[in-house]
Amino acid sequence: MHAMQSTELIRQFLHERLGVDPQLAVSSAHLADLGIDSLMLAELMFEVDERLGVAIESGMTAPKTVGDLVALIDTLQAAKVARA
Amino acid sequence: MTRRRVAITGLGIVSPYGGGVNAFFEHLLAGRSAVRLLHTEDRPRPLSMPFVSCTTFDAAAMLGKPLAGMMGRFAHLGVAAAFDAWDDAGLARQAPDPAEREQWACIWGTALGGILAFEKGYRDMWQNGRERLSPLSVLLGMNNAVNAHLSIQLGLGGVSMSHTVACASSTVAIGEAFHHVRDAKTPVAITGGSDATHAYGVAKAWEAMGLIAPGTCETAFMACRPFAANRAGLVLGEGGAAMVLEDWDHALARGARIHAEIVGYGTSCDRSHLVRPEADGQARALHAVLADAELSPNVIDYVNAHGTATVEGDPVEIAALRKVFGSRAAGLAVSATKSMHGHLLGAAGAIEALATVLALREGAIPPTAHLQGKLDPACEGVDHVFEGREGVPLKVALSSSFAFGGSNAVLAFRAASAS
Repeated sequence: MHAMQSTELIRQFLHERLGVDPQLAVSSAHLADLGIDSLMLAELMFEVDERLGVAIESGMTAPKTVGDLVALIDTLQAAKVARA
Repeated sequence: MTRRRVAITGLGIVSPYGGGVNAFFEHLLAGRSAVRLLHTEDRPRPLSMPFVSCTTFDAAAMLGKPLAGMMGRFAHLGVAAAFDAWDDAGLARQAPDPAEREQWACIWGTALGGILAFEKGYRDMWQNGRERLSPLSVLLGMNNAVNAHLSIQLGLGGVSMSHTVACASSTVAIGEAFHHVRDAKTPVAITGGSDATHAYGVAKAWEAMGLIAPGTCETAFMACRPFAANRAGLVLGEGGAAMVLEDWDHALARGARIHAEIVGYGTSCDRSHLVRPEADGQARALHAVLADAELSPNVIDYVNAHGTATVEGDPVEIAALRKVFGSRAAGLAVSATKSMHGHLLGAAGAIEALATVLALREGAIPPTAHLQGKLDPACEGVDHVFEGREGVPLKVALSSSFAFGGSNAVLAFRAASAS
């Protein structure tokens, strides 16, 4: 998955679940400011897992910004492709 | 022990009619049924039964997407009803001074709670082959979800308690909240009940007991006929109803509108059978509420009956009223509003308590719909209300809930003008 697609998935989640304007989900935006607390981050990563088949493993640093989250998803995706 | 008078300063509802408490009561007074045929193509068999749904209720619009997304249906219904009551009481959702609400309470009733969240989980895993569930499932399913959200959203730092007593759940919740305020443990409590009863497994379970009234698209609206000779069972419904209970002096000091006074709460247990009600047990609950309110049976003007329209339950309830009210029973106005809004299970007591308070406030009695000319002789002996009555000088009224398991609970209310 490209970063653009990861960003789109995050924006879609923010809009559908939290009513957040997708345009606010820029790379530097803090997840907490967009309404993503630890519970909602778990729900978001559950959806990422459902759609992309990648999951955060214990010990990984929790992302703070949209950019961090995009990078994390893309890293997990890349690792999945490498394993295949 | 210090005893305080308790005012009802806020009323709120999510009703099948849409609109607020006033619209709800207008529909009841006019005898309009909200029952419709519910039909869903489901597995292994379709669900088809008369039902009461809050079809116009939009949780995301009422609560906002972030909050609504953290709740299941019963919490949507409950929190929206409670916010409605809170606003009606003229209280700010954001506490001006958080310390002021340190002892304020939230006491809620629900029979099924978040069962829909778990039912969805079972479907996802056993029907749809999913191997994991949403991390939010527990939060959507927990039965104290309404309490939790209300306490957080309104800054209530006192008791946060949920009661599950089958069909008496929210009557017990309101009664416990009443005692909490009366005994000076808190100046303000938000209370009521909510249930989302259309869970497939729940509806099928009630159907299996043979207690669900049959109906078609054309006849569903009159499927629930309490006290009628041709009654054929109950109709499940969903909804939420709430009230703000407040120390009378606290309410006066801030200039709050007082809808009515809550004056009594009585409970008992039949201690005899899981589903067969006993007049003796119900009579003990009626005596208990009168004793708690320090009232004579002679001053009661109206009873909003439990009246589920089951073959066994209705005559027993009237027998209990005859037992307690004696020769005066014949003049006691009685109606069962379930004939119109259905049986909300854990929220039934709350929505009926609201109907009772509104009856006192408006001086009007809603009827038992579909009863005219069909009264079962076994249910005679009280003044059945066949059509809505207006211009009635009501002073004191009761609202009864008699649950499976033999748990009985009754509330007593007095008109603000009679206080």
